[in-house]
Amino acid sequence: MIQLRSITKKYKNNYALRNVNLDILSGEFVFVVGASGAGKSTLMKLLYKEETPSSGTVMIGGINIANLPSDKVPNLRRCMGIVFQDYKLLQNQSVYDNVAYVIRTLGISTKEINARVLGALKVVGLSDKIKAKPTELSGGEQQRVSIARAIVNGPPLLIADEPTGNLDPKNSMEVMQILDQINQRGITVIVSTHDSAMVDYFRKRVITLENGEVVRDIQAGTYEQQ
Amino acid sequence: MSSNKQTIKKQVKKHIPKDWLTELRIVYRITMETLNDIKRTGIVNIIIITTIAAILTIFGGLFRTALSVNSFAHELGNVLEISVYLKQNADAQTVANRIKKIEHVQKVRIIPKENSWQDLKREIDIPDIENPLPDTLHVKVDKPQNINSVFNNIKVLSVVSDMSYAQELAKKIQILNNVVNTSTVLVVIIVAILTITIINNTIQLVIQSRKDEIEIMRLMGVSNWYIKIPLIMQGALYGFLGAAFALIPLNVVQNMLNNVHRFFMIPGPIFAGNMVVIAMFFLGISFGAGGSFLSIKKHLQV
Ligand SMILES: Nc1ncnc2c1ncn2[C@@H]1O[C@H](COP(=O)(O)OP(=O)(O)O)[C@@H](O)[C@H]1O
Ligand SMILES: [Mg+2]
Repeated sequence: MIQLRSITKKYKNNYALRNVNLDILSGEFVFVVGASGAGKSTLMKLLYKEETPSSGTVMIGGINIANLPSDKVPNLRRCMGIVFQDYKLLQNQSVYDNVAYVIRTLGISTKEINARVLGALKVVGLSDKIKAKPTELSGGEQQRVSIARAIVNGPPLLIADEPTGNLDPKNSMEVMQILDQINQRGITVIVSTHDSAMVDYFRKRVITLENGEVVRDIQAGTYEQQ
Repeated sequence: MSSNKQTIKKQVKKHIPKDWLTELRIVYRITMETLNDIKRTGIVNIIIITTIAAILTIFGGLFRTALSVNSFAHELGNVLEISVYLKQNADAQTVANRIKKIEHVQKVRIIPKENSWQDLKREIDIPDIENPLPDTLHVKVDKPQNINSVFNNIKVLSVVSDMSYAQELAKKIQILNNVVNTSTVLVVIIVAILTITIINNTIQLVIQSRKDEIEIMRLMGVSNWYIKIPLIMQGALYGFLGAAFALIPLNVVQNMLNNVHRFFMIPGPIFAGNMVVIAMFFLGISFGAGGSFLSIKKHLQV
């Protein structure tokens, strides 16, 4: 589903990514780990076209998004769910409206929106909080809302950049479990994290970045090399 | 894998499915977004609309006056004739034919000296002497601004002994005409600058206050046009409402001018009211939308 070839991303005179080559297959669950500043977020941004590589190709679903025209970027992003460390919820809108926002802009019928939103909220276990505002929710709940928003359009791919970065271990575990369940429905999931406990617990494929380079890529791996 | 590949490829290439119900819902959504933006702008809305209405009133009033002055000038041009007094030996018909060939001359009327003499004798008591008057030609010019050139062209003819026309009046009307026309153009420029500046700043504030929200919408894959259109509509709506409110004072100006026309028994310019209204809405809406557009270009990186 995703092929990165000779990806280099340079900011002024420091390299965020250096000659990265990766293949991620449809249906995989991948952890991208590494210390702060290793290039995890940059890698994620290349996937949702918030950044463009200095060189190399980013193939997603058969198209090279490195040179995707900017008016097509929204279309690309609607084909993936994106989850951020800071949730990025609309503070003055309810849980329901947050999840419904993007599909409403597509002109989908209210009935269908309702079905999709309730379905997504059920997956993350927030069916009873649809009227709440983000400020009335815990961090873990807010992150679950953002996951519901990410999957509401039924994307084949979900990208999460440090989704548990602001959460305590218990909430982190809940969020990771939801991401795992989503993966089990056939959605490709890519999670960047530096939470070694989570990585070690789930035993998924682990891609380790160091100074912008892929230094390890292990199936059913752990955070540190064993 | 290949099926996922296909769906992504298809989804990225295509736009939102187009059937009329879908489009209707999108239009509804965008309208709601526009109204939301306006609601957020709060009391400032009133200031914006009042200001735009005020400057559009100045424009509309002036434009309407210009049209009236134009019609006055035109009407006066019609009654303004050049009187040409011929030398005693001249043949009126020959001269008349020559003058008719001069550019901008519309009509030449011959007043034989006998007629002039009879008229004069009817008005004042004159002893029975021989008619001392020359034949006279009344020359009608197509437009008031051409009177001068026609006058000069006739003056050089050798058979002409003297000429007269209401030169001063024609000049004054011409100057007034130029003044109102120029002011109208100037006011259009002022309307443009003010409207665009006001809307530009307002939309900038809206964008600023929605910065985080717009950023989230962008990241979630909301189309650029869905973000932009409500902002453009907001600007255009201010222009529209400004023009709508300007109709009230414009009506007062219109009535005044109509009275002036009635008093001088000079018909008002046809369709003037409609023209001014259309111009006001056109300027309001296009400069409003234009102001939004500039603001979006500058402050919205999408
Ligand atoms: N917009 C930017 N401008 C300049 N340097 C950047 C920018 N974004 C990231 N970097 C640099 O790129 C490197 C990788 O950053 P990032 O991908 O955010 O790392 P991580 O997410 O793993 O902490 C860091 O050295 C960071 O300082
Ligand atoms: Mg990061």
